[in-house]
Amino acid sequence: MGNRIDLLQGTLDMLILKAVSLGPLHGYGVLLRIRQVSGEQLEIQQGSLYPALYRLEHQGLIASEWGESDNNRKAKFYRLTAAGRRQLHSETERWNRMASLISSILRTTLEEV
Amino acid sequence: MKLFAKLRSWLKWIVKRARLETAMEAELRFHIESIAEDLVRSGVSQPEALRRARIQFGGVESHKDAIRASLGLRFWDQLGMDLRYGVRRLAKGPAFTAIALLSLALGIGGNTAIFTLMNQVMLRNLPVRNPEQLVAFGDSEFGGIAGGIDLGALGGYFPWDFTRSLQTDPGPFQGIAAYCSFSNKVSIRPLAASGTANASSPAVLAPASLVSGNYFSVLDARPLLGRTILPSDDATPGSGAVTVLSYHFWQQSLSSDPSILGKSIAINGTPFEVVGVMPQGFLGIKQELQPTDLWTPLSMQTVVLQQPSMLTPHSGLYFLHLFARLSPRATSNRAELARSQNWLNQQIMDGIREREGGTMSADRQLEISRVNVPLVPAAHGVSLIRSQYGASLKILMIVVALVLLIACANLANFLLARAATRKREIATRLALGSSRARIVRQSLIETLLLSLTGGVLGLGIAFAATGVLIGFVSQGNAYIAMDPTPDTTVMLFTLGLSLLTGLLFGLAPALAAARTGAASNLSAGSRTAQSSGGKSARFWPKTLVTVQVMLSLLLLVGSGLFLRTLRNLQNQDYGFERSHLLLAEFDAKLAGYKPSQTPGLHQRLVERLSALPGVRSVALCATPPISGGNWSSSVTIPGYTPAPKENRHSILNRVSGRYFETAGISIVAGRPVNNADDANGQKVAVINQTLARHFFPKGDAVGRSIVIDIDSVKGPWQIVGIARDTKSGNPRDVDPIGMTYIPLAQIDPHLPAVSSTPDATGVVAKTVVLEENQDRFAGMILVRTTGDPAHTIADLRAAVTSVDANLPLLEITTIQDQMSNFMMHDELISSLTSLFSLLALLLAAIGLYGVMSYNVVRRTNEIGIRIALGAQTPAVQWMILSESLLLLTIGVGLGLPLTLLTTKYIKDQLFGLSALDPMTFTVALIVVSAMTLLAAWLPARRATKVDPMVALRCD
Repeated sequence: MGNRIDLLQGTLDMLILKAVSLGPLHGYGVLLRIRQVSGEQLEIQQGSLYPALYRLEHQGLIASEWGESDNNRKAKFYRLTAAGRRQLHSETERWNRMASLISSILRTTLEEV
Repeated sequence: MKLFAKLRSWLKWIVKRARLETAMEAELRFHIESIAEDLVRSGVSQPEALRRARIQFGGVESHKDAIRASLGLRFWDQLGMDLRYGVRRLAKGPAFTAIALLSLALGIGGNTAIFTLMNQVMLRNLPVRNPEQLVAFGDSEFGGIAGGIDLGALGGYFPWDFTRSLQTDPGPFQGIAAYCSFSNKVSIRPLAASGTANASSPAVLAPASLVSGNYFSVLDARPLLGRTILPSDDATPGSGAVTVLSYHFWQQSLSSDPSILGKSIAINGTPFEVVGVMPQGFLGIKQELQPTDLWTPLSMQTVVLQQPSMLTPHSGLYFLHLFARLSPRATSNRAELARSQNWLNQQIMDGIREREGGTMSADRQLEISRVNVPLVPAAHGVSLIRSQYGASLKILMIVVALVLLIACANLANFLLARAATRKREIATRLALGSSRARIVRQSLIETLLLSLTGGVLGLGIAFAATGVLIGFVSQGNAYIAMDPTPDTTVMLFTLGLSLLTGLLFGLAPALAAARTGAASNLSAGSRTAQSSGGKSARFWPKTLVTVQVMLSLLLLVGSGLFLRTLRNLQNQDYGFERSHLLLAEFDAKLAGYKPSQTPGLHQRLVERLSALPGVRSVALCATPPISGGNWSSSVTIPGYTPAPKENRHSILNRVSGRYFETAGISIVAGRPVNNADDANGQKVAVINQTLARHFFPKGDAVGRSIVIDIDSVKGPWQIVGIARDTKSGNPRDVDPIGMTYIPLAQIDPHLPAVSSTPDATGVVAKTVVLEENQDRFAGMILVRTTGDPAHTIADLRAAVTSVDANLPLLEITTIQDQMSNFMMHDELISSLTSLFSLLALLLAAIGLYGVMSYNVVRRTNEIGIRIALGAQTPAVQWMILSESLLLLTIGVGLGLPLTLLTTKYIKDQLFGLSALDPMTFTVALIVVSAMTLLAAWLPARRATKVDPMVALRCD
């Protein structure tokens, strides 16, 4: 496991939406996928995962249904809704814009001011 | 959309709560097992993997709690918990809860009761379209027929021809309509289809109103069934025998017959066709205590009123009120409103000039040009009840509000005391991590629970109380226009009041509770003065008690003033005997008697009634010695030249032989009217002292003659006696008024012949037809009894029935009931304010007692130490008592100026005493002081009983 970087609540939601957009997942699966996609660098805090999942479902951005896991045990799977897809898209855009803005500010040298 | 989705989800989880819990449990367990599986796959043993997984995941309950918070369920759960906790706590202290609920129920119930009445009398709009556009012409509250006045004067009276012209040409108004200023009782018999009266069904007496053809259209009132009265019905006098029924009459007397339209009913013997029924709650524009049961066109006036036609040009009889609907612009635009007002004044001025005719003096011209009949807003209808009871209701509203405030102050004190006992509990909660907001919320929910429950109970009390009040006001009339059932407005008022009350007495203790410092209170039993709360904690209870004393003083003074007003009104010299007198109202016209038959009927009645046991004397008259309505006119003395505009007004009464001895009115000069004054003798009259002093200041009234300016009883009458002045109308009226009494037997059988006027074709009638004189009817029987007049009522009825079974007795009252009718709202307001002020004083005393007792309990340690150190009993008593005395002094010191300032607002309600009456103030001060001292002395006595050893040993 790599360094734990603390996430803000807004980015956690975005990451969950992204993870679920790649295919329906149960809660543990979301945890694993994010860890995997980040190259073992990012680990989500256990205490914030489920509140975030329920909150996103409460807002109508993801939908849940009970299904069978790979061990044939009952588990609750989450998938992205149309509203969620739109939200993910706009959040991604905003993030990218913000990131490029901040990095351009940080890149300025003394001469450019 | 997100908000909508959130709301839907929230509701779903509230409903499917159990499913949520099991789902969460299953999901979280799956997560833990998945972690364990992965660990097992990497080589850890099964039990060890499970253990590590659980540690890694953290507490399941805290996860669940976080989920619940994110779904917004935490607030909901906390609310439920607080409610259950509040109920448990209230149940654990049943005495407190019972007293609190009782005081709240009484306080809120009282307010709701008065508000129900206010809503019906003052606040409700007429059930018509755009009621704000309606205006009445002049002050149209009183009913009656006036003569010899200017158009619109003296209460908005107009004659028929003038109203007709305004109806056809309403000028800037949308429409102008007229209605008879009084409704009178008519006898109604349903008719069978063949048109003959159904002999078996008895005649019903119901109040009927005469209205112009466009009355309903100007009001814009829609009927429930059929149609309303139309201008075509009112087109010609004598035709248009149609009637519109009220919902109440249709329901009660015709059993809501659905096929009533087209059927006929006989009104005073004449068939009228029923063309419509009005919806429930429609009472016309005039809001009377006894609402109208049917409306008929003005054209049928002779039948409904049983009087000669008043629908002639220049009749000189002013008996109609007018109202109009303003144009929409005039309702909002002041200039437009002024234009409408000026147009009306112009029409009236033209009308007066036309009626006077000929040349007028310059003074008269000036007077006419200054005539102004104001447009009175009539969105709530025209109501005599409102002006009579309006001020009383407002005063009562303030009184009950003050009582509620006092009750709230008590509850606040009690709650503050309870909050003090909860200090440990709250400190523990704060230490365990609760937010202060949560503690305030829990406290508030408990008090709101109390106040809302009190409100519901109060609604029930209000219903009962309003019923009683209405019963009192209606004086035994079976049906009046007021209803104790609460409607939406009243219920909203109660809800709002309960919430406000709860916040009022709950907020301060809640905030005080949350302000607890955690650390100092967790330490076990401290004995410092600080532990008993210190100065600051004693501030609020003392202030509240002081306020209670102030308000009680105010209420006591108010009720004292009203009681003395009532006493003053009752103890006046009325001029006639106010006991052992029975009054029975009857109407021979309804039974079909003609004026020529009246002497025989009157004779039989007097003879039959005089023979009854327990009857000392019997007399007949037109109006009783004191009456709301009066027959009056101006009088002329031959040989006396009156000054211009001199007041020659006199009330008239036509009486039978033994009137003066029956009514107990003494004769100061000459002789009274007696049985010898009959149709064959000289026409005689008796005048009262006021008239005698006015016209005959030298005292030579007896022997002179007097002429009454009404054609039917013109005279001249020779004055044979002077009677003592009597109070003939409102007891508050202290201006002397003239009275003239003439014998019934000497009234002419026919009206004087009117000089023939050419009819429409210009032909002068050859024969002169004389009309019978309707003024020969007596309307009232007076019976002086030897014993209690109420016992003679049954005999009276039986006797009248034996004379004529068809003769309807409209109302039988004793003179005391009649008098109390006049002083009804004085009686009402004085008894209610006394009741409430005593209640307030009791509550304040309880409050003071409670606060002082609690002080003693809290200071037990301190008192114990003092006594142990050698303080004597009187010193300890004085220590406690002095605090109460200080409160009393401050309360009175602030309350007295407050009372002095506010009593001047009720000056108009008082009679015979000033608003600063010293005796009332003194008595009130004494009562308040006595109560307060008693309430303070009891705890002081308790303080001396403190055993120092016990006090010092335990907590």
